[in-house]
Amino acid sequence: MTRATEAAAFFGITATIYLALLFQWIPIPLPETVQEFTLPVLPWWALVSFGAYSLGNIGYHVMTFRDCPEAYHELQTQIAQAQNDLRSKGISI
Amino acid sequence: MAGQHKYSVLLPTYNERENLPVIIWLLTKTFQENDIDYEIIVIDDNSPDGTLEIAQQLQKLYGEDRILLRPRAGKLGLGTAYIHGIQHATGDFIFILDADMSHHPKFMPEMIRLQQSKNYDVVTGTRYAGNGGVYGWDLKRKVISRGANFLATVLLRPGVSDLTGSFRLYKKDVLSKLISSCISKGYVFQMEMMVRARQFNFTIGEIPITFVDRVFGDSKMGAMEIVSYAQGLLKLFVAV
Repeated sequence: MTRATEAAAFFGITATIYLALLFQWIPIPLPETVQEFTLPVLPWWALVSFGAYSLGNIGYHVMTFRDCPEAYHELQTQIAQAQNDLRSKGISI
Repeated sequence: MAGQHKYSVLLPTYNERENLPVIIWLLTKTFQENDIDYEIIVIDDNSPDGTLEIAQQLQKLYGEDRILLRPRAGKLGLGTAYIHGIQHATGDFIFILDADMSHHPKFMPEMIRLQQSKNYDVVTGTRYAGNGGVYGWDLKRKVISRGANFLATVLLRPGVSDLTGSFRLYKKDVLSKLISSCISKGYVFQMEMMVRARQFNFTIGEIPITFVDRVFGDSKMGAMEIVSYAQGLLKLFVAV
């Protein structure tokens, strides 16, 4: 099963359960507040939550993305060393 | 430290005349200091800047058993460059890294140690975990990188923190199998290698690495790259 079919299966099943509850296809007694107020906005809540999670995740990881100037300076030194060494051995740099 | 193993480094190049001598110098230094048996396979795609000519000079300096030149007639893509390189590789392990010095060979002994400790099939460098990091990226570039990686993680769930990185150590037969099953090109190709590796139940270890954006030459990242990345990602989402 590819990732796309996995995702399609997941959304298909979730949507079926949701619609069954929303339109009361199966007689599961839910509290009135859930039936009247929670269920209609549940998909939007899920969407907004996922969006918030995504932004939070990316934002957090951008914030904690480490800069490594020491790696740059080390490399600069080594580039100079390499070029001097190779030039002294007759490489045309 | 490497025991009886031999490590083949694949270096696909295109216009890397300035970078190639330095990266080869760094590689040989690292391998010699750590007593690792190695060979470096330079796969040059007929660079107009004379990359091959400088590679020939380096071959004379370091020896024909250490530097192998396997040039090709033109720009034929990364995947085929690796296939071409593997065919000529005599090592039982293959290192893949960029020739532009954004990947530093100093991490190789660590990667080898981790591979040996758990007998991993693949060890990949990660900029996103532990002491990893980048140099030379502005905020925009970081956001794009992080966003792209997040999107790929959500869609493909590969279980690897740095999907688009390309500093990796592979068992030779594992790499051959992965390449032959890959359908993508460019950035997405590196990503697909990890996703396929998971698909085949290969084991993957991670080592934090620092990434210094290329010193000589231009870094390739624009709107076109982002679009082709998104296309490739969706293709993978449907295919894998």
